[in-house]
Amino acid sequence: MHHSKTLARLALATALVGSAGSAAFSADISFLRFFGDCQTEYGTVTDVAAANGECGIITVLTNKFNAENTIGAKVVTQTVDWGAYYDQLTATYSTGNIPDVAVMHSSVLPNFSDRDLLTPLGDAFAAAGIDTADFVPAALKNATTKDTLYALPYDLHALLFHVNTDLMKEAGFVNDDGTVRLPTSPEEMLSMGREFKEKTGKYFIAAESQSSEGMMVRLWQSFMWQQGVDVLAADGKTASINTPEGQKAADLIKALYDEGLANTALDYPGAEQAFLNGEAGILINGTWVVDSYNAQAASGEATLKNYQVANVPPIFGASKVWADSHMWVMPKDESRTPEEAEAAMAFMKFLNDNNFQWARTGHLSVRQSVIDSPEFAALPHRGEYSATAENATALPAVQNQRAIFAAMYSDFNAMWLTGTSSADALSAMQDSVDQILRRNR
Amino acid sequence: MTRAGSSVTRAPGTAFLFLAPFLAVYAVFLVYPLFKGIWISLHDWELAGGYREYIGFLNYEDLWFDKLFWRTVRNTLLFVAMTVPTMTLLALVLALAVHGPGRVKSVLRSVFFLSSVFSVSVVTLIWSMVLSADQGLLVPLWDAMGIKPINFLGHPTLAMPSIALATLWWGVGLPMALFLAALGQIPQELYEAAELDHAPRFTVLRRITLPSIRHTVLLVVVLQIIGQFQIFGQVHLMTQGGPANRTRTMVQYIYDTGFRDWQVGYASAMAMALFVLMFGFSMLQLWLGRKGDEA
Amino acid sequence: MSSAFRTGTGRATDWILLGATVVFSILWLLPIIWVVAMSLKPNAELMRSTAGFLPVPFTFDNYIGITKLATVPRWLMHSFVVAASMTAMVLIVSSLAGYAFARLDFPFKRTLFLLTLAGLMVPEQAVFIPLFTMFADWGMHNTHAALVMPRVAVPIGVFLMTQFFRAVPRELEEAAELDHASHFTIFRRIMLPLSVPALTTLGLFTFIFAWNDFLWPLVSATRADMFTVTVGLASIQGNFAFSEGLGSVMASAVFASLPIVILFLIFQRFIVAGVALGTGK
Repeated sequence: MHHSKTLARLALATALVGSAGSAAFSADISFLRFFGDCQTEYGTVTDVAAANGECGIITVLTNKFNAENTIGAKVVTQTVDWGAYYDQLTATYSTGNIPDVAVMHSSVLPNFSDRDLLTPLGDAFAAAGIDTADFVPAALKNATTKDTLYALPYDLHALLFHVNTDLMKEAGFVNDDGTVRLPTSPEEMLSMGREFKEKTGKYFIAAESQSSEGMMVRLWQSFMWQQGVDVLAADGKTASINTPEGQKAADLIKALYDEGLANTALDYPGAEQAFLNGEAGILINGTWVVDSYNAQAASGEATLKNYQVANVPPIFGASKVWADSHMWVMPKDESRTPEEAEAAMAFMKFLNDNNFQWARTGHLSVRQSVIDSPEFAALPHRGEYSATAENATALPAVQNQRAIFAAMYSDFNAMWLTGTSSADALSAMQDSVDQILRRNR
Repeated sequence: MTRAGSSVTRAPGTAFLFLAPFLAVYAVFLVYPLFKGIWISLHDWELAGGYREYIGFLNYEDLWFDKLFWRTVRNTLLFVAMTVPTMTLLALVLALAVHGPGRVKSVLRSVFFLSSVFSVSVVTLIWSMVLSADQGLLVPLWDAMGIKPINFLGHPTLAMPSIALATLWWGVGLPMALFLAALGQIPQELYEAAELDHAPRFTVLRRITLPSIRHTVLLVVVLQIIGQFQIFGQVHLMTQGGPANRTRTMVQYIYDTGFRDWQVGYASAMAMALFVLMFGFSMLQLWLGRKGDEA
Repeated sequence: MSSAFRTGTGRATDWILLGATVVFSILWLLPIIWVVAMSLKPNAELMRSTAGFLPVPFTFDNYIGITKLATVPRWLMHSFVVAASMTAMVLIVSSLAGYAFARLDFPFKRTLFLLTLAGLMVPEQAVFIPLFTMFADWGMHNTHAALVMPRVAVPIGVFLMTQFFRAVPRELEEAAELDHASHFTIFRRIMLPLSVPALTTLGLFTFIFAWNDFLWPLVSATRADMFTVTVGLASIQGNFAFSEGLGSVMASAVFASLPIVILFLIFQRFIVAGVALGTGK
């Protein structure tokens, strides 16, 4: 079977080799992703080195593949807003436009793989020459369920403390060697925050605090792991939310808002703007913006001038931080032709080959060869958060992660949005999550 | 109302031909789905992956104990209470103000109806910007006065009134048109008589105008209740149900449950509950209206 | 002057009330004016400040950007096709059924009419999930047909046309009946022309309704190249678009709304008049 296919393709290719510019076959690959739409800026760019940020780099990589591939494959991208992405992806299974390549978080993979909605990729990777041994073990594990490989791991991302060195210096928190002093206990976090506010008049912490992305829930989850508690059990049946550890972590976060050390009014772009405008000392965000902020600080156009990154500190004892992972999957589609499948695989291989470029965003690479490379080591700020790769703790592969997460941040954010007590918030969270977990099979 | 009496011709064959298109579409796209929806609500049915399991009334039982569901019911009722009276009143006041001949009034009528013509996503775009805490319309005003701008859409108590405000701006056109039509039907003689008596303006309003249009008021209220119960777009796009579920409405919960959490069976059960609730309210309203007529 | 208010000495009050209404109408329009102004300013400027009702500094770039990408024009095309088809079908189906209910007698007529009225009570949310599964089974999502068909059987259309036809004086048809004209001929030659005002209003409201339809297109037209205006504009309201390309987003909203606004301005006379007909006394 394999032989005849290869022969057939060879014959086809030979037959067409004379005609200028025509491809062996022409396949449109539909590509579904978030990461934003920056067609106006990068629509025609194919030089990856000129791209910055997640949107820029993935757009340019796509353009480059389209321009340079020799099999006549064309990637057609559909971008979806992050919040609506999985709604859209799920809908495609019913509405007949199942994408050929799609991005997926490792935390969400089980929902799809358990329902047999993804194409197993192990054999295809081998055929395409993707070396799975090069992936760090954790990444490979995340992409595998029930011993079947369903995804191409692409990055590991985690929470970070993005620091405005100048403001921290003003507050007296910068050591002689230029590194920044960060709190190592909840009490210290609050006392440093108060001191910061007194000395600089600005917010100590900036973070997305409104209703759509739950940044603080991720911080809270990190604090739970730091105390040795798993928020979600590995079997996906129980959650440990309303516990003394949960209470301690929630109290700290609530206190930050109550004492005016963090601004409740910020949504995601607002938090970024506040940080770039020099209105906050520390921005709680992730690895995906390191390159962006670096470029902005260097450009001189932002108020932020001296920018550094730090691992989320072991405020509650252990060095653990929330992490997730981006992967590329091939949703199952009976109507996909072999040409389309091959083209999609070629695209995936291309993305894998360019993993380093993606790592330029700030995300941690999942390929050992990239991590060990000198180019990677030379990327700005990476040394400042190299420990994050080890501290990264992912949520267990459990179903309905999104619903769980949405339920969590709805109830959690109430602590500062509506003044709910931490006890009430945690109790509500526990109830909501339990209700969802009851449906996990 | 009908002058010609009921002189209809007996013509079953022709009637069938005339009715067939409507009945066919009606049966396939309204009647059948309604029953299918009830059927789905009796299952644990997933959006993707083909999992279907008959569970009887378990979804309804879950619904009864679902705290978030009752929260959305409360929010929806609150929203209806907030918008229906104000919308009706505003539409009436505007209709009274712009009723009558003249170029100016004609332009005014267009202005107030214009906002109804936009899509919900245009309205939410406009109002999300207007109400934004750092880029909003009134921010320069707050800044000049030294007041910290309020984050309307993120504020626990102000979020829903903000959505109500946007909804008012968007929706007043149709009720206003209904009132205008009704005002136009009031016989002139009634006003002329009042003029002869030198009746003060307000008495005219109270004794002549309002009673004459009371059927329209009832119609507007019923239509508004039906409409506002179904609120989805504004909430989905402006607040996503936040902050902390303060603005989460029933339809939004149905959408999230079905299309985000894949629980189509549970979502169907919720949709049925919404249907029953709306039906009950409309019936109540109509019954009250009829009682008012008899009074 | 408005008869509802006028009395002998009320002239001054009339003017004051009118003036107040005019002021209110200006406030009413402010959000629109502001958005249009923003659409005509450069994105960079808007990142600094969004204040101001005058588009200074001025730029057409946002609009030019829209016309260069096929996105917004494609949304418009889809919205037009769907709205126009839906309107045409609703008018045909409703007028045919309305004539039958108003002028013909047949078994189960009363039952069928009540059944139709009952449909008025069913909200779209009670049926959109089953409709979704039905169209998924038929493999018909992301088509114009999927966006149009579920909306064609609107009880309100049938109800309006029935009311209208009932009110038409019998004499007009009796002449034709003496000539042994078929019902279809009567319908076509007499009733339809008479009902142009009602049809115009029904058509107008249907068109606007189709244009603004959100929930159903949101779940059915999920491919970006099938988005209608409403769904398309909703898709660009995510965080990202707002912080970077404010001017472009505003321009998209304005551009996408122009057709319906123009339509409204042309046909606005029919709206109030039509509403009067519909609630026919």
